[in-house]
Formats: sequence, structure tokens, C-alpha cells
Amino acid sequence: MTTSNFRPMQRRDFLRKLAITTGGITVGGSLLAACGGGSSTTSDGLSIGTPQNPIKLPVSTDPIADGLANESGTLEILNWADYMNPESIAAFETKFGVKISTSIYDTEEAAVAKLRNGTFKPDVILGMTDTGLAKLIAADILQPLNKSYIPNFGNVISGLRNPYYDLESQYTVPYFLYGNGIGYRTDVIDKSAFAQNGYEVLWDTKYKGRLAVLDSYRDTLAMAIFRNGGNDANSSDPDEIKKAGEALIEMREAVNPKVDILGYQEIPAGNRDIQFLWSGDMFTAVQYLPEGVDPGVLGFWYPETTVTKNDFMCITKAAKSPVLAHQLINFLSDTDNALLNREYVGYQPALETITVDMLLASETIPESLVDALVTPEKYEIGLAQVTLEPEVDALWLEQWTAFTAG
Amino acid sequence: MRRAPRLWTLFALPGTTWLIALFAIPFYAVACVAFGTIDPIFRDAVPQWNPMSWDFTQASQTLASLTSGPLRGVAIRTVVYVFCAMVISFTIGFPIAYFLARHSGKRKLLFLALIIVPFWVNYLMRMLAWVNLLSSDGLFTRFMRLFGVNYNWLDGSPITVVLGLVYGYVPFLILPLYATLERLDWRLIDAARDLGANSRQAFRLVTMPMSKAGLVAAGILIALPMFGDYYTNDLLSRSPSTEMLGNQIDFFLNASSQPQNGALLVIVLSIFLLVLMSFYLRSTRQQARQTTR
Amino acid sequence: MINRLRGRRTSALVYVIWGYIIWSLVPVIIAVIYSFNDGRSRTVWQGFSFRWWWQDPNASVFQSSEMRNAIINSLVLAVATLLVVTPLGVALAIGAQRISGRGTNVVQGLTSAPLITPEIVVGAALLITFTRLFTAVPLGFTAQLLGNVTFSLSSVVVIVRARLVSIGPSFEEAARDLGATRWQALRFVLLPMLWPSVMASLVVVFATVIDDFIITSFLSAGVSSETVPLRIYSSVRGGATPALNALATLLVLTSFTVLIVGLFGLSTWRKRHGERGGMRAALADVTRMSS
Repeated sequence: MTTSNFRPMQRRDFLRKLAITTGGITVGGSLLAACGGGSSTTSDGLSIGTPQNPIKLPVSTDPIADGLANESGTLEILNWADYMNPESIAAFETKFGVKISTSIYDTEEAAVAKLRNGTFKPDVILGMTDTGLAKLIAADILQPLNKSYIPNFGNVISGLRNPYYDLESQYTVPYFLYGNGIGYRTDVIDKSAFAQNGYEVLWDTKYKGRLAVLDSYRDTLAMAIFRNGGNDANSSDPDEIKKAGEALIEMREAVNPKVDILGYQEIPAGNRDIQFLWSGDMFTAVQYLPEGVDPGVLGFWYPETTVTKNDFMCITKAAKSPVLAHQLINFLSDTDNALLNREYVGYQPALETITVDMLLASETIPESLVDALVTPEKYEIGLAQVTLEPEVDALWLEQWTAFTAG
Repeated sequence: MRRAPRLWTLFALPGTTWLIALFAIPFYAVACVAFGTIDPIFRDAVPQWNPMSWDFTQASQTLASLTSGPLRGVAIRTVVYVFCAMVISFTIGFPIAYFLARHSGKRKLLFLALIIVPFWVNYLMRMLAWVNLLSSDGLFTRFMRLFGVNYNWLDGSPITVVLGLVYGYVPFLILPLYATLERLDWRLIDAARDLGANSRQAFRLVTMPMSKAGLVAAGILIALPMFGDYYTNDLLSRSPSTEMLGNQIDFFLNASSQPQNGALLVIVLSIFLLVLMSFYLRSTRQQARQTTR
Repeated sequence: MINRLRGRRTSALVYVIWGYIIWSLVPVIIAVIYSFNDGRSRTVWQGFSFRWWWQDPNASVFQSSEMRNAIINSLVLAVATLLVVTPLGVALAIGAQRISGRGTNVVQGLTSAPLITPEIVVGAALLITFTRLFTAVPLGFTAQLLGNVTFSLSSVVVIVRARLVSIGPSFEEAARDLGATRWQALRFVLLPMLWPSVMASLVVVFATVIDDFIITSFLSAGVSSETVPLRIYSSVRGGATPALNALATLLVLTSFTVLIVGLFGLSTWRKRHGERGGMRAALADVTRMSS
């Protein structure tokens, strides 16, 4: 299904664009058509797009009609913790005269399960990625977007306006960009520690009890695969998956890691020294530094072999306020609003109008965290992570359960 | 009153129906999920409502995992943690309950009130208090550093988890212990002493046998929730190396796409606890007999 | 001789008991004190202020919409549970106490089982039930209400039944002898006498529900049904501000207010109706759950 050494055309192109940082030529369409962007539906019914084999997702309902009035009342959001600036929320509430109420999810698979069984009934989902998208589509949870409500869609990085996981962006609009790597305290660990297979530092008993990995089976197991020398973030090789699981168990025995997504709070608080996390977390972490602490204590190692990706916003089929939901997506895709949102969240918005150079020039990025920025070059090297076939997924989950069961 | 049983049946009917629908049937639903099949796309459970076609393959896998696979460590750890916490809880709780029961001074009501206070302070508040004290710049951590103890209390430490369980559940032990000991006929102990038993003998030969049933009942009363506890662990450790059975149930039901494993663990835990419960019921009955005698 | 010995043992135990009281209460008191911290930290004191109680326009307990929401959710859930569980429990207690014939064992077993079933089992079972079987019940407030009623029904039954036993049948029999119907005897003689146990169970159930974490958490549906304990749980670790301490303090204050009001109510009732025991009996009523 996937191979480890693909070099997605549209991705490289987008990077070139990002590097140049001007213009608005859409890359995707024609190129992808040339790649034969047909659907790659599995026998089980999951529509999985890969950079090699992009997919146009099936559509079971029409988008909402054009020109509808905004609903009043409450807009329900499902989001990661600390993944939208409270000031942005307030600004949206004021602008549209509504209330936003946010439910939180900690793992993508739990969110998918709870969306399916009705625990969560949001209008908008923020921060999902293509590792969960195929399941959301198969469960018929999302509604196609009506782009006439989202004029700011044009701000999105051109290469992501027609992404491999959702050709023509029928359901999704990119939100933030990030890459997986290691955040650490520079006052405890020197940069040079990561010089050779930096992933090994996570197995270093020096940091026993002061170390954590992401509570995300896809990310953390993929990290173990990379550490073992592999480079397939979507491996379907049972042996490779098993070895990754064993490596994590070895880590557990050696350093007693925590498994959570709280690195952005715990590292600045000084409660832990090092964590495998999403690059954007370290920018969020700046927010959480105790008063008077130099942001220079926060460091990030960006691996050569790692996952880079974007997450996205989407609207549920059962949304009670679909127009407002579109408005929120449009609102967050506005350059100024995205910058305000970034001030708090820290992650890089997936907008063409917000470039790496611009962020560097803004002097909001501590010197020690420049490495955590996803530059076009890094994005090019980065591997994509897609929904797994159910049988393969079971293998991954099996290893993950063995690891987390301690 | 025997002439109108129908009226009393009518009184009992709504509550009983409620409990059948929302206490008994849910157990059946758990079994239907545990012994059901698995959705091929989402790896989610598909309940099998007909017991005749229950499928036990997943169940046997999970059982194998509990006895020899990855879950074995969790099961053993759960038992060890609860055992340690119980021993410490009794060590703390018994002398206090004993004192309260024997003491009859003016301050008794004050002591009783102060001991009941934690009972009414929210469990999570009490854990929050310790998280604050034990974090790396918390008061307790800083205090211990004065003595050269530099320990990461909140980073996957089994000591913290066990002590957290003790701190959380000991108030729930002291009150029933106190109730048991207060009901004892202390004249018997005084009699033993008068007849020449020293205090240790009197305690071993008279106090203990008389209060044994009550002690067992009180112990089981806190052991039951401890076996299912997951939040103490979550708040004080959140490390795979201190994971207990309750954490696995919570994980499978609330944070994974495989609820059938959670359902199976609920069944395993229930069966295990059923044994404890039957002990509990036996001891309370025994206790009731002893006190009415 | 004996008295002297006993005296010495007692004095040693006094230290143990004071030690325990300090150990059990001081951490909580410190947490309460830190809710008045002027800084963002829950561990390093930076001066006294009401910043996290009401001064901070976004993050303080009374101003943060999420925290206010959690408080309201908690109160609404507790009151709603009381409204459902009290009549249900009192009726069940009377019925279970007097029922005879077939089905008696079922009723007895069903009413006592939830008392000793760990919450996680009930919570997990109800979660599965509401997501797979009774799918008409949405997770969130409705499911939480049903779950809490189920879990606290037995405590009401236990408290009321204890009272029924101590009252005995003679009062009702006397009323019947004087010509009252069975219903009148129940309504005008028994029910008023049950009042202290009803009051005690109101206090116990309110405190149980407002403190409940496991069932409420298993049956919650995101922020719309987040109660105070859920809020505390999800933000204890990490960078939460002292507003969290303030929120937890409010929760504790609520429990104690209810407890104290209940205790005074009970002892006043006792005094007025010429029953002995006063405060201590009231305390016993309220803590009966534990013994």
C-alpha cells in the first residue's frame, strides 16, 4: 500500500512555493490528475489516500446551500486542549454574536470512536489528521464543505489546497503544520546529545523518570520504527511493527517514560527533561514557562527521518450550526486571525500568507527553537502518515497495548 | 402487615424495575460486547445480543494476555499495589479507630468530627492537594530536599501511587472500623485483663476475634474500589510502569477503539470482586450475628 | 494499675491521631491557601490576592465560562438526582422492607448489590449500555443522571430502611386500630416519621453526586456535561492556574455547607420531636453509609 521512499510530487512543489512564499498558483489539480488520482478504496471500505495514490473521497450528501444566514446560539467545537487561542474564540463570539463551547480530545482514535457512538456531537472538528480521516468518512460523520462560505481558502498553502488525502478539499481545510521530534530542556541536555541517532536519547537511562512519549500509537510506534533504522511511518510489515513495539518496551524498562501529550506544559514547568512530541508543542510551551524563565531553556531536535504533516478542520454531518461552522473555518483561515491564534497555540498555521521567514522576523520564536520550525526543506524530507488498513492497524494497536499496559 | 403484600410490591416495583434496567441489564450488555464480534473496518465491538451465538475467541485471547501476556504485569501489579495499600491503611487506620472507640473523653466528638472531615472533602481535591505538594517545585519536594532527598514523586513512582491510594481510601476504612470496634463489648477485654492477660494477650485473644468480621468487612469495603481505581494512578503517575487494571479498563473503553477488551476486563474484574463481595456479605452477616447475640 | 496502663496507651495514641488529622487535612488546607496565590503557580507562593477567585477577567473561577459551566453542571446534576432518587428510594425502602413471597430475594439482592459494586464496573457497564443498547439515552446529562440515580439508589434504601427498622410497625398498627386506612397510616404516621432518614439521604446523595467522578466521567459527553470533579481531573497535571484550587475549594465548601445544614436540620428535628441523640445521632445518620 505505501512505500517508505515516496517523494510526493505535490508536496515538493508546495515546498518550492513555500520557499518562494509568493503567488497563488494551485499546484495540485493537474499534476495529480497526471498521477492518476483515482480512489484506492480497500476491500473493507476504507477510502485511504496516500501521496502516491491520492483519493477523491466519496460524497453521500450535498454541501449546504449558498447564502444561508448564520445560525445563532452555540457552536460546538471538538478540539485538542490548548489548540485554539481563547482570544480568537472571544473574537469569533463577538463577531458572530454566538457562544463557542469546546470539547477536548486526547487521542485521535478515541475521538473517532466517540464521534461514532455519539459521545461527541460537535459542529466542527479541529486538528484531525489523515490518520483518522478515512474512518470518519467510512462512518459517514463528515459533511462536504461549501467553499462559497470560505473565501479565505485561497490563503491555504497552495500544495495543500488539493491534498492527497482529500482531493479537491471536499471535506477538509488545513489548520496547522508540524513535524514529529524531540523537545528537551537545554539546561539539562546538550544539543550534541542528538548528534548520532538522536532518537536513542529517549532510551538513555540518564533521563529516567523525566521523559515522555506521545500518547499517540501511530506517532510513537513510527518513532520507534525510525529509531530501529526503518523509514516507513505506515509500515505493514508485522516484523517491523513488532520490533518497534519491543523497542518501546525496552524503553519502558529502561527509563519509565510517561505517555501523554502534556509535554508543552510539563517541559516548561520543569517536571520533565525530554519528550517525543509534535514540533508545534514547543512553541506552545513558551506560553507555559514560569514567569521570569528564559525561553532558551526550551530546545527541539528535528530528526532527519520523521513524520511531517498538517492537520485540518472539518464539519460534521450532524452539525446543528453548519453555516457558523463554515464561518469558523473561514475565520481561522484569515491571515490576521491565524496569526492571533498562533500567538497562543504556537503551531504554524497552514497558510501560504504566513511564512517561516515571517515568523522568524516576528521575533516570537526563541533562538533555541528555530529548529522546531517546519521549513519547506524539512517538509520535503518528512514522511506522510496515513490511515492504516484495519488488519495492519490491529497489529499496531496490539504492540501499543503491550507497551502501555506496562 | 402480611395482609397487603401487593401494596408493598407496588412500592418496590419502580425502584426494582429501575435497577433491573440500569443495573442488571447493563451487565448483560457488557457480556454481549465482550463476547460479540469485531467490526472489520473500525476494529470496534459489535455486540452479540443472543447468548447462544456468543463468540469467545477474543475473550480467550484477553484471558491469555492476563495470565501470560502483556496484561499479566498489570494484573499482578494491581494486586500488589492494593495489598500494600491495604496493609498501610490498616496500620494507620486501626490504632485510630481503636482510640476513637475506647476514648470517651470530652474531645471525642471533636476527634470524630475531624476524622470525618476528609470523608467529605472531594477525593480529587485531596489528590490535587498532593499533586501540588509533590510536583518538582512543590512544598513537600522542596522540604524533602532539605534532607537531601531528591525524588521525582510524580514520575511513575509506585511509592507515590500506593501512598496515594492509602491517602485516598483510609478515611473510608477508619469509619467502619470505628463502628465495629465501638460495638464491641469492652467489658470482655477488661475481664480478660482482670483475669491476668497482659494487654497484648487481651488484644490478640479477645479484641481481634471479636472484631475480625468487622475488620474483614471494612477492609473489603476499601479494597473493592481500590481494585477498580484508575484516577489516583492517572493523577499521581500516568506512566505505563504503574498501570493498574482500572487504567486498562478506562483506556480500552474511553481512549481506544477496542471496547471489547474493556468489556472483558470489566467481566474479569467483576468475577474477581464477586469473590471479595461474597466474603464481605459473609462477614457482615457474621458481624450482625455477633452483635445481636 | 489497669487504669494507669490504659492511660499511657491512650496518650501515645493521641499523638497518632493528631498526626493523622494533620496528615489528612494539611495538604488540603495548603491547596485552599494557594487558591489565593497572586502568581500563576500552584506551588510557589507569590503573595495574596483574589485574582483566581474573581479578579482575573477570563481565568478566575467566577469569570471563566468553563469553570462556571462546570459548577452549574455539578449543581444541576446533584439536584436532579435528588429529585428522582428520593421518591424512588423511599418507596423502594418501604417496599423492600415489607415485601414477601416470590421475588423478595431479587429485590433484596438488587437493592444491596450496587452498594458494594465498584463504581468503575457500574460506570463501564452503563457506558456500554447507553452506547450500544439503550441508544435513545444520549451520553451527557441524561446518562449521568440515570447513572447517578442507579448508583445512589441503594444508599437511600439503606438509610431509610434503618429508620424503618427503628420505628417498627407499632405506630402504624395503632393508627390502623384507630380507624386509619393503610394508606392514611402510611401517609400521616409513617412518612412524617421517616423525615430524618430522608433528610440524611438527601445530604448523602447530594454529596455523593457532587463529588462523583467515575460514573459522571464515563457517561459525560464533552464540555457540555463537564462537572467540577471532571474539570479538576482533566487539568490537575500541567499548567492549570490556582483557579483550579479555587474551584476545588468551592466544591469542598458546597459539600460542607450541605452537610452542616443537614446536621442542624436533623438535630433540630430530633429535638422538636422529642427524640434523643442530638448532634451525635445526626452525625451517625449522615455517616451511616460508611458503617
